[in-house]
Amino acid sequence: MRVKLQPAFVLHSRPYRDSSQILDVLTAEYGRLALVAKGSRRSRRGGSAGAILQPFIPLLVSFSGRSEMKTLVASEMASNPLALGGDRLFSAMYLNELMVRLLHHHDPHPVLFVAYADTLRALNDEGCQLHAQLRRFEFTLLCELGFGFELAQEGGSGEAVTDDGWYGFDADYGLVHLGSPSNGQRAAFPGSDLKLMAAGEFGEPVKSTAKRLLRLALAQHLGDKPIKSRDLFRRT
Amino acid sequence: MNFSPAIEDLIQALRCLPGVGPKSAQRMTLHLLERDRAGADNLAAALLDAVNKVDHCQRCRNFTELDICEICIDPRRDTSIICVVETPADVLAVEMSGSFKGIYYVLMGHLSPIDGIGPEEIGLDRFHRRVVEEGVSEVILATNPTVEGEATAYYLIDLLQGDGVKVSRIAHGVPLGGELEYVDGSTLAHALTGRRQVE
Repeated sequence: MRVKLQPAFVLHSRPYRDSSQILDVLTAEYGRLALVAKGSRRSRRGGSAGAILQPFIPLLVSFSGRSEMKTLVASEMASNPLALGGDRLFSAMYLNELMVRLLHHHDPHPVLFVAYADTLRALNDEGCQLHAQLRRFEFTLLCELGFGFELAQEGGSGEAVTDDGWYGFDADYGLVHLGSPSNGQRAAFPGSDLKLMAAGEFGEPVKSTAKRLLRLALAQHLGDKPIKSRDLFRRT
Repeated sequence: MNFSPAIEDLIQALRCLPGVGPKSAQRMTLHLLERDRAGADNLAAALLDAVNKVDHCQRCRNFTELDICEICIDPRRDTSIICVVETPADVLAVEMSGSFKGIYYVLMGHLSPIDGIGPEEIGLDRFHRRVVEEGVSEVILATNPTVEGEATAYYLIDLLQGDGVKVSRIAHGVPLGGELEYVDGSTLAHALTGRRQVE
């Protein structure tokens, strides 16, 4: 197999032998792949050969190979590098950790690739609403993995979500109507917020609902190991 | 053909070194046994000695045989300036430049959540306490210009903000003797945003 100029992002890399790296990349058409970048840690005229093989740089990669692990043949930058700093950088690292934990190798997710590229571009803007971007991406990720659920209707009965109703989340059914109104329950979500989210609003008005709901939905698939990137958001 | 168990063991043991595969390990083993028995004795003794004696400096976490390393106790060095680096090899690299007269703090890694390395694992809070307690005036962040190194730097900047400490990041840009044509775009972008007015 020989693939040329495939749009890709590096999700993670680790050193391999003396001067090489094993890259974990997300490609547009081939999904998540492991690539060996031979000699990429060796220095070259004007810097290291692998300087652009970093996360969050839009790349075009060419690779070949018959085995599970492909060999990187060439790489170039697809567009200008992003200038992520502070919480925006930590957020982008969080996206990568989520994908490394949840995506399987060789499972194409073209929609997710576009959503990821869009989210990074949005994070590049200093004034962006971080949490809205993250929640929207988390929801797209769940849908792409086949774990999506309806936000505007109940999972079991299919009845529409009502503004004054309270809903719980069940991994198998999705949203379930709760009989009594919430009495400080963490896992209860107001119907009005859910309807806003169904209409594509993940920002300030639904901040707390979206965060709790998506964290609950993701937790089902992440297992016991905590997401380490969350430690980076230091709140005093 | 198989070698005797002791020889096989040695070949296997040598393979723990970076860049040493089965063939090189076999060559090293046979060389030591055939031609350089004294060298082998020395190597064994030096290895044991180093593993038993070398530990982390209590102040900068660099490798040392003493409680506090030579750089940290050197009276000629300015203890109010701390340079934060990722590995002991980075300390050597900065020392070779001969242009830094402060002391170091070696993180022994960088923030890499995917590998399970968070702020606690590399002792960033401990470093913060030390900066506050010792009244350090400047912290120079010399972590690598990789995503993980940058994240480590940003985390420290956030941590040290409001402590009245001057925090600086080493400059990134075009290497000496390099040619602009061969410098990658992201490095050039850094070099341009971090440009300096000529006085």
